Amino acid sequence: MQARLESPPVIALLAAVGLFLCSLANALARETRDPTQLIYWLGVLLIAVPIFLRLTSTQPSYRERLGLVLLLGLALYGVKVVHDAPLFTLSDEYIHAFNVQQIEKFDHLYHFNPAISTSPYYPGLEGATSALTMLTGASIYLSGTILIGAARLVQMAALFFLFARLSGSARGAGLGVAVYTGTSNFLFWGAQFSYESLSLPLVCVVLMAFVEREEAPPRLRGAWTVPIVLGILAITITHHLSSYALAVIFVALAVLYRVMKVDKPNPWPFAALAVGSAAAWLLIAAQSTVGYLFPVLESAVKAIFETAFGDTEARQLFGSPSDTAEAVAGTPIGARAIALLAIAILGVISLIGLRQVWRRERRKPLVILFCAFTVAFFAALMLRFAPAAWETGNRAGGYFFIGLSFVAIYGTAQLLRRGPRLMGRRLLLSGALAVVLVGGAISGWSWDLQLARPLKASADGKDVFSEPLALAEFAKQRLDGSRFAGPEADARVLLFPGGQVAFGGQGPDIEDVVDEPQLRDWQLPLLERNHLPYLVADRRLLSEDTLRGQYFSVEDQYGNELRPQGVVHKFSEVPVGRVWQGGRIVLFNLRDRP
Amino acid sequence: MRGNRDLQRACLAAVVGALVAALAPWAYVRLLGALPLTLFLPGYAIVAAAFGSRELAPPKRIMLSVAVSLMVLALGAFVLNIFPFGLETASWAVLLPLVVIAACRGAALRRERPQPGRGGRPALPRPAVGTLVIGALAAVIALGALVLAGKPLPAENAKGFTALWMLPTDSREDAVAIGVDSNQHQARSYRLEVSLGKDQSKTYRVDLDPGEERVYEVDVPPRPSGRTHVVASLYKEAKPQKLYRRVTSWLPRQMTFP
Repeated sequence: MQARLESPPVIALLAAVGLFLCSLANALARETRDPTQLIYWLGVLLIAVPIFLRLTSTQPSYRERLGLVLLLGLALYGVKVVHDAPLFTLSDEYIHAFNVQQIEKFDHLYHFNPAISTSPYYPGLEGATSALTMLTGASIYLSGTILIGAARLVQMAALFFLFARLSGSARGAGLGVAVYTGTSNFLFWGAQFSYESLSLPLVCVVLMAFVEREEAPPRLRGAWTVPIVLGILAITITHHLSSYALAVIFVALAVLYRVMKVDKPNPWPFAALAVGSAAAWLLIAAQSTVGYLFPVLESAVKAIFETAFGDTEARQLFGSPSDTAEAVAGTPIGARAIALLAIAILGVISLIGLRQVWRRERRKPLVILFCAFTVAFFAALMLRFAPAAWETGNRAGGYFFIGLSFVAIYGTAQLLRRGPRLMGRRLLLSGALAVVLVGGAISGWSWDLQLARPLKASADGKDVFSEPLALAEFAKQRLDGSRFAGPEADARVLLFPGGQVAFGGQGPDIEDVVDEPQLRDWQLPLLERNHLPYLVADRRLLSEDTLRGQYFSVEDQYGNELRPQGVVHKFSEVPVGRVWQGGRIVLFNLRDRP
Repeated sequence: MRGNRDLQRACLAAVVGALVAALAPWAYVRLLGALPLTLFLPGYAIVAAAFGSRELAPPKRIMLSVAVSLMVLALGAFVLNIFPFGLETASWAVLLPLVVIAACRGAALRRERPQPGRGGRPALPRPAVGTLVIGALAAVIALGALVLAGKPLPAENAKGFTALWMLPTDSREDAVAIGVDSNQHQARSYRLEVSLGKDQSKTYRVDLDPGEERVYEVDVPPRPSGRTHVVASLYKEAKPQKLYRRVTSWLPRQMTFP
């Protein structure tokens, strides 16, 4: 009976049922029935736990373990897909989908993006997606979903091969990949249509190819150099942080090879290529990255010191990742406990793992680096207490977690040593891995966003849209190619699927223009200077929240708090033309006046 | 490439895939043709060229094929962008088969001698009937999950609304299009009043089903000087005195900021 339950087809069936439960929970949520999240979490566990349990067994072959981690990666990616399909809803997805639209429109790269002006200069994802959209005729959503799905499978396989080669254990490799699914961005943020969702898997491929090259006979080293070089170049034009992280990894390896006097060729050529290509791209093509990235890092560093010295109040854990004023549903105590328990489990496994790794593998430079990553991961957790640094810590965690997952292999191996009550220990470890997965998902994604919200609904067999989406559809059909200013959530939907050039946020300071109830002297000149004739005035408090502001408002649930009437009236009183009114949102044309 | 059946097949598949993707009128057929061309074949050919006849375990070869294909797509966009024609269906449909054919040619040269065994189907274990049935069931359930996710559902508690909009019909700006667009969950009735300057007005009764849009074209009378203030106001039939939506315009528009 146990053997049957642990057979791969049954595990695949359970994963499919788990995915269906997740889809059902999201469907009920989109129907605004306020379903219990238990259905959703049960679905996630049904996907993961049978795979975890099988991975703890000694029986599966190398290929079966590979198949299991691929199934795990694909099914968990499915959890994200059934959350949103068939629309992009995560904040960065609108930006990158807009870039693809621009490539299709102009047949060339590097066209302006008002939301993240540096994003067109890292066109790897968008360029690749354009190949799919142009050759298949499929929508940007479908092409992007297929592309990120392929990248996710590549990442799972690359991590498996990397861990198997470094640890010498396929069982350990499978468990290492299972641990990796517990990284806080795995379920949603890291699966969105965004440049890092492609670049991070490629980083894993480069690391895997590097390790294979190290272990290969000299005649095969040249062959393994090909994916490493192609990978470094592709990552360079795909994502800034990933290219810098890869450069740092190779520089660190080059130093470690030298210091440890490793009897293999020093990887400094790869370090030089990674540093050189990242620097060259930054200086030649993507200079705006400096203005985009470094203020974020600077404020993160400042926030760390200010929080440490008590100048700033520490951030409350499990708060909304957005600084919107909307009071979102808090994370329940039980969920918080699971997230903290996950960290505790990772801490214990890592501690045991570090001890074992240090004893057995400390002559391998990459292993030393992975140990440092493990320590860095727990240090980065501290950043979650600093208000302006939590996101930096959260994003860095995705890279550090690769090292932690490898170290965890040795921790889990201790628990699975031969001896009495092995089945009990396997169940215990599978449960612990489940806690790590669920805890990671809870700490990486707001509780109120775990389930979908209605963006498009059906009524009498026809589609009806949320207010921001209806405005975007109107703009797409009737105002093609216009320039807009608006709150960030509206601006994102106007970018995609609206296809408009829509500014929001603080560069230029559109946020104050649309959020303040009084019209200030500088506001209309600012809009004129930036050639923004269309202005979206939105009374919904959620309108600046790029993760929540695009949906329907739902009675007694969310999206009902309003800004003062002045945010709309101040433009009516100028007066200027009102082009579109949907209730809480009014679209003004500032060039239409008496 | 004689004797390297896998390379011959890769080249053939790339050319056929490109032709299907570029010429076939059916989206699903294009998808079938383009997916191997974009996500597998370029990587397969480059990996074959890099490794020559040396051994690489099939799982790693497959993973590297997909990974290197993703790299080729990212870098290929960069390369195509250099040319005046840029990124188009035709340029992708030429570039990717070229990469595949060139890399396969390189692979054939690097392989020490033709290997009859290469390209043959690997011996896969024949799955049991039970395994096939369970696998098919799993695939159907997963597909069901995706279909359910993509299906718009009624959301009764979501706040519906009806939007009103107004735009000049063309650049002459002597008429306006006024649209009433329902995103309500039930059928609704409205009264639409359009005033054109101080003297003229028109009234329409608007009955809308959910998801329905009605567009009215209204001529704006020419004025010797100044602008005509056009105001469209929408009232719910149930509350005829309370303004529900209003849009305005001054025609012809100034096209300058205040």
